[in-house]
Amino acid sequence: MNDDTPSGRLPVARASGSPVSQSKSASQKSTIPTPTLESVTTIRADGSHVVLHPADVSGRFTRGRRIAGGALIGLYAALPWIKVGGYPAVFLDVASRRFHLFGWTLAAQDLWLLFFLLSGAGFSLFVLTALLGRVWCGWACPQTVFLDHAYRRIERWIEGDAMARRQLDAARWTPAKVGRRGAKYAVFAVLSLLVTHLFLAYFVSVPGLWGMMRAAPTEHWGAFLFVFLFAAALYFNFVWFREQLCIVLCPYGRLQSALIDDDSLVIGYDATRGEPRGKEAGDNCRAGSPDPVSGLLSEALPKEGDCVACHRCVSVCPTGIDIRQGLQIECIGCAACIDACDDIMTRLRRPRGLIRYDSLRGLAGRSTRWVRPRTIAYAILLAVGGTVAVRALSTVRPAAFGVTRMLGAAYFFDARTVRNQFLVRLVNKLGGPQRLVVSLQGIPAGVVQAGFEQPVELAGMAEEVRPLVVLVPRTVYTGSFHCLVTVRDEPGTYQLSREIDFLGPDPQLLREDEDHAAPGGPAHEKR
Amino acid sequence: MSDPIQPAPSGDDLRPHNYDGIQEYDKRLPNWWLWTLYLTIIFSIVYWFYYFTTRVGPDDQTVINQAMGKIEAVKLAAVANLNDDTLWQMSRNAAFVNAGQATFTANCVTCHLASLRGKAENPAAVGASLLGTRWIYGGRPVDLINTVSKGTARGMPAWGPVLGTSRITGVVAYVLSHHTPGEPMEIVPSAAPGVK
Repeated sequence: MNDDTPSGRLPVARASGSPVSQSKSASQKSTIPTPTLESVTTIRADGSHVVLHPADVSGRFTRGRRIAGGALIGLYAALPWIKVGGYPAVFLDVASRRFHLFGWTLAAQDLWLLFFLLSGAGFSLFVLTALLGRVWCGWACPQTVFLDHAYRRIERWIEGDAMARRQLDAARWTPAKVGRRGAKYAVFAVLSLLVTHLFLAYFVSVPGLWGMMRAAPTEHWGAFLFVFLFAAALYFNFVWFREQLCIVLCPYGRLQSALIDDDSLVIGYDATRGEPRGKEAGDNCRAGSPDPVSGLLSEALPKEGDCVACHRCVSVCPTGIDIRQGLQIECIGCAACIDACDDIMTRLRRPRGLIRYDSLRGLAGRSTRWVRPRTIAYAILLAVGGTVAVRALSTVRPAAFGVTRMLGAAYFFDARTVRNQFLVRLVNKLGGPQRLVVSLQGIPAGVVQAGFEQPVELAGMAEEVRPLVVLVPRTVYTGSFHCLVTVRDEPGTYQLSREIDFLGPDPQLLREDEDHAAPGGPAHEKR
Repeated sequence: MSDPIQPAPSGDDLRPHNYDGIQEYDKRLPNWWLWTLYLTIIFSIVYWFYYFTTRVGPDDQTVINQAMGKIEAVKLAAVANLNDDTLWQMSRNAAFVNAGQATFTANCVTCHLASLRGKAENPAAVGASLLGTRWIYGGRPVDLINTVSKGTARGMPAWGPVLGTSRITGVVAYVLSHHTPGEPMEIVPSAAPGVK
């Protein structure tokens, strides 16, 4: 493998080489790489990628993760179909710039709230990571959820257990192998396309997606390319790339090294209890050894620790590490090794928890400090961010509006009045019609508002631009001033306001002009 | 971090530098990583040749000109059939007139009033009367299109960018529906709004 095969090829390509390289790869693939702390198990010394075949595992955490993963996949698949208030539960309608979230509609004008979503997600992950380590990675990350609970299940179902898969990797390309591999890749491809189509449905809704699917690809070229490129990326990721994403690409995975400390919950091996590693055969010498959990004392010193070096924790690991070497950046907190070890310990009638969820401090025999400067600081950040976010969200109203000065001169005057002209853009963010009242507040006496004499009826989700003219009779004109344009719905349940500047000429000059120009003379334009 | 078991540094592939007690191994990068790097290098060379050396690919200016040309073509197509005759025809067509009335109600009554009489009805109104036979900026249908689209120095804003061709056509059809083809027309450029 090291000599003649260009590294970085897909495993399929590798196995389909010459008979010589086949037998070589066969011997190489049949050996499980020995994890070390110095290098990534899944990358060989020549840089090529090891395709891991984690062994089957069952237990309470695996069961819990299956349920969580199934629920998350179900939620992902269901959200575009569930209707809340006439729209899909989550419908990010980019084309018409309306974002429907569980019956709540935001317009493009509310996009600034995205800041709170992103920073809130960041702070939440800070707190979560400081307290519970990589619980997100193991239980909720889409990469793990889809890989462990969809793609790997299908692989297990079609190709058999880890041993069978390793043998299949090493086998010659017989029709049987072509059939199995082909079936797996075909199902993977279909699944990737399904996931991608569902993803697109979040942006174009299910009926919109169905319409696009029945039309020719050229009619929605962008969407078509997006779906197929994204599906290809998913396919590549779940067929071959897998744990490399968590180890090398994922920024959150890297960032966590800076977010956790000795008191964060991680998956660890209790070296005090496990070392020195013994053999199952030496079980009898354990007769009265101290039980680290119950603390019972032994009559005789133990010759060997509880770890029987059965290698189960290594063979079930999806990133190929040996958890007994301590906390490592590759560990995604999937708890497979806990279930594997608990199973062995139960069979040997020893207490569970040789590998367990615990802090490094807890694994060293001390107690975990949950409240500590780091968790307090992260919680304060989250609380401040959350408060500001709630305050910001409370300012969101079912309408949006903007006021801009009309193109052209800043102001106009004629024999009677000085006037400013504005355009008011009104956006109805509700599904149904709304009647909006636009008025001026804080205007000097005598100022006349032209436009919006009647409430404006806006259809659901409609957007309209209408003129607003502010007229100041010369008799009351005293120069420029500020005032407010307000918009409220007819019953007055909410109100929005914007400040505008009324601009005009110097009143002194206007009066001189009045003296010279004959009343009823031509109107003037001033810039 | 207190690792239960410290790694035994294997000496030869540990890099000599040491920052705050942190040392690094000299391991080969994953081949997939190297290949992504090589592919981006190849891509940049191909890109450079395609767009900048051989100029097979269109440059930005050409792309912009093509896109602007398309916009221009759509705009021209919209006004291609606009002349006095077709506008008069539209003004006798209920579909155009009704659409135009809706636009007029939303945007024009602010100054010209719902009666279209503007200052003729109320001297405090901003806009001139659109009824009768006296016009300030010309009373032919194409003059009206021009005035509405481009605005006037007296303060009529340029509605072209706000309303677009089809709604402007509708508004003009609505105004023309209050007039008859061939009626007398008097241009009074000096007439101030308010003089009827």
